[in-house]
Amino acid sequence: MKVDQILALPSMPAACPSYPLGPYRFVNREYMIITYETDHELLRQAVPEPLEPNPEGHVLYEWIRMPDSSGFGDYTESGVVIPCLFEDQPINFTAQMYLDDEPPISAGREIWGFPKKFAYPKIAVNSDTLTGTLHYAGELVAMGTMAYKHQVSPGGPEALAKSMTKTQCNLKIIPNFDGRPKICQLVAYNLTEINIHGSWLSPARLQLIPHVNAPVADLPIRKVLGGKHFIGDLTLPHGRVLFDYLKDQKP
Amino acid sequence: MKKSEVLQLPSMPLQSPTFPRGPFRFFKRQYLIIGYRTDPDAIREALPEPLEPEGDEVSLQWLDLPDGEGFGAYSAAAQVIPCRFQGKSCNFITQMYVDNTSPLAGGREIWGYPMKHGLAKLDTASDTLTGTLRYAGVTTATGTMTYKHTALAEAVDRESALLGKTQVTLKIIPGVDGRPEIAQLIGIRFTDVQIIGAWTGQARLELHPSVNCTLADLPVRGVTSGLHMVTHMTLPYGELLHDYLA
Repeated sequence: MKVDQILALPSMPAACPSYPLGPYRFVNREYMIITYETDHELLRQAVPEPLEPNPEGHVLYEWIRMPDSSGFGDYTESGVVIPCLFEDQPINFTAQMYLDDEPPISAGREIWGFPKKFAYPKIAVNSDTLTGTLHYAGELVAMGTMAYKHQVSPGGPEALAKSMTKTQCNLKIIPNFDGRPKICQLVAYNLTEINIHGSWLSPARLQLIPHVNAPVADLPIRKVLGGKHFIGDLTLPHGRVLFDYLKDQKP
Repeated sequence: MKKSEVLQLPSMPLQSPTFPRGPFRFFKRQYLIIGYRTDPDAIREALPEPLEPEGDEVSLQWLDLPDGEGFGAYSAAAQVIPCRFQGKSCNFITQMYVDNTSPLAGGREIWGYPMKHGLAKLDTASDTLTGTLRYAGVTTATGTMTYKHTALAEAVDRESALLGKTQVTLKIIPGVDGRPEIAQLIGIRFTDVQIIGAWTGQARLELHPSVNCTLADLPVRGVTSGLHMVTHMTLPYGELLHDYLA
């Protein structure tokens, strides 16, 4: 393999790269998001400076079903998102993500710094209930339930599509071969080409179970505020560096 | 979390890093290594420059790793191409499949081990040491070896030589724009290797073509060796052999 071929590789392994070059198009992507209120002090610890956690102490617990994703295939994801402020502008920080497919884990971690681990999330419509579960290393660590399509969300698809353009960010950490940090950045991205098929608000309940390697319960539930369920198509483009801990660090 | 604490994190996510700092000690690490002859042109194509081919033999390896510091219990399968770097013999790891995120993410992100998620299994099935690999629901490799037929002192030397060779990986990590930010050849040398047992024997190997698990792209022209060994060993950090972006 020649040097120009090596530099054109999108990812490892050279023999069969885990993921191709982006952007990545998702069709029929289904979300279930349960918003809850947590402990302010614990939330502060879970958010890296210079991000500031939202003053209300809100956390979004999400399940996402992705049956048709270019480059990645068919998979399901679950995790924790924290609404934050960066230089006083609203931004969503992805704190934890669990999914059942390696290419989006590797691409997620290596391109944008999505904090992804391998686990078994699931979304299902069971009788009258939209149910999300997450199993990590054989144990149930999260269960969310939502009443099924009780109320169409106000503003309809347009309002939801607009809300989904909100800037999102991750903390990307890639070590050097000697273990020292090589990349340590806040990486931002914005979803594009959003087409919402439907969105609903409904009552919800959420249970998070303590687990050391999937610590979703480290941000405890003080109060569940409600659930949002929506389906749409969208594109995940590459990202941009918002803050570089190795370069922008002030003494 | 303060900026200074962020810089101390060994890995993502902030709240529960996927892997801690190394080195990583492995206990009772068991190998099945099947050597085979393949197509020299396919070897040339699979080896990144400036690595040079060394003969027409490669190997498919199964690893049972019941006790790895920081990583836990898991299994792996790997395809290895003996080659030369600046005149010295080394082993290029071309593909690797594991069933556990900690070593998968740690392997890729620290050393550039070319790991994907696959279900490798190394089992003693009746009188046979059997390695299988399933990727995306289909079997992509099956290797079998006679069980502890020949334990030779010579085999122990051979194992030591094999584990003593530098492993080489091609580490590629994209930047936020998708273009390569890291493109390096990394050298890895195991340390504190203790051979608990080593055996040679007859072996057979079948590789099934699969587009995302392309082991069969180095086709089996003839099996040349079967090796079975159990070791304790330490995986330290790596060293930079070549930087494609420098």
